[in-house]
Amino acid sequence: MVSVSEAILEGVLQVEKLGKRYGSRWLFRDLTFDLGIGDRLIVLGQNGAGKSTLLKIVAGLLPPSSGRARFEGDPRTTLGMATLDMSLYPALTVREHLEFSGRLRSCPDRSDELLERIGLQDASELATSQISTGMRARVKLAMAIQANPTILVLDEPGAGLDEKGRQLVAEIVKEQAQRGCLLLATNDPLERRLGTHELDLAL
Amino acid sequence: MSSTWRSEITAVLGKELRSEIRSKSGIVTNIVFGLVTVVTVSLSTYNQQIDKDIAASLLWVIILFASILSLPRVFLLEEEQNTADLLRLMGRPEAIFWGKALFNLIQILVTALIISFLFFGFTHSPLTVPWLYVVSLFGGCASLAGTVTLCGALVSRSTNRSTLAGVIAIPLLLFLVEMGVSGMRVAIGPFETDLVLGGGIRAGIGLVAYAVMTFAVGPPLYAQVWKS
Repeated sequence: MVSVSEAILEGVLQVEKLGKRYGSRWLFRDLTFDLGIGDRLIVLGQNGAGKSTLLKIVAGLLPPSSGRARFEGDPRTTLGMATLDMSLYPALTVREHLEFSGRLRSCPDRSDELLERIGLQDASELATSQISTGMRARVKLAMAIQANPTILVLDEPGAGLDEKGRQLVAEIVKEQAQRGCLLLATNDPLERRLGTHELDLAL
Repeated sequence: MSSTWRSEITAVLGKELRSEIRSKSGIVTNIVFGLVTVVTVSLSTYNQQIDKDIAASLLWVIILFASILSLPRVFLLEEEQNTADLLRLMGRPEAIFWGKALFNLIQILVTALIISFLFFGFTHSPLTVPWLYVVSLFGGCASLAGTVTLCGALVSRSTNRSTLAGVIAIPLLLFLVEMGVSGMRVAIGPFETDLVLGGGIRAGIGLVAYAVMTFAVGPPLYAQVWKS
């Protein structure tokens, strides 16, 4: 791991005494870690341990109860995230999702390249309500990596994916190691092997 | 406005338009509501000339209810269909507000135009000052779109969103409806220069100013809600 000052300079992630409480119950507290280029942190824990909550706090989608998570840069392009509970727009096609995501983040149009990458060229004109759960998970992955983020946050990325989809996740994780850091919440033993560090929220 | 902002706003607007054109949920609800109410009014006043005050109020009530049936949903739907986080990860709050407010404006203008044609067609009310009618309709629709978008945005992350949106909207809309009715009363009543130059123009300017205010205040206010 890199030191705090290096981490901030390199635009990677610093988590400091982070905690989340619902009512009087702490899901987790005093979590402190830095992630530098090449770090891949696997977040473990049983259902309800707070894996997804931790990821959402890091992404700025939920406020922490204590501490903070910070990184340099525009969150829209620095951080990419794909989660299980995030839905796609049912009336928009796969291609329209990628175009929409690219324009909102003001990044160059990579729709064709990403469609090829996730193997959905033939399904590009289908509405996301007409494709399978696994295909939707691939679209979310493509949107997460669209801006070449320094920080990639994935919540159970292999859930609902077939063998090819899981390979895609593994490739994306390897590429991310060259570009920045990764936070991956999972309980899958195969996905667990993709990490360089582990954080068990049950402990 | 920079090309980046324009691109982001049109991306949100385009997404909303595509979704609406394919699902037709909002505009169809609005038009069916408008058609049913206009037909009901015309049947109950068959062969009678509707008083200008009542006609202006009826027209505004129909437009108001048609719009609040669907407009706040542009934000609430994002929460209900679990796409809100996707938007928060990718977009800037100001661009999202502008995109959604413009979509609401287009939807309410189309609805209001259709309701106007139906209303004048079925009730045979006279239209004596068309330009004032257009100003009142456009200013009123813009104000309505801005206000309802703002209310939807403000309550989007709370529980009991729909109820709360209504509660917040009522005091904001009362003032707007009053101005809208004043403008239309002059536009569809017998032509009187004093009325047009006094109450009519005042109502028109008031509606346009109200619209400008909601579109100016909405984005920074929504950005604060977004952060919290």
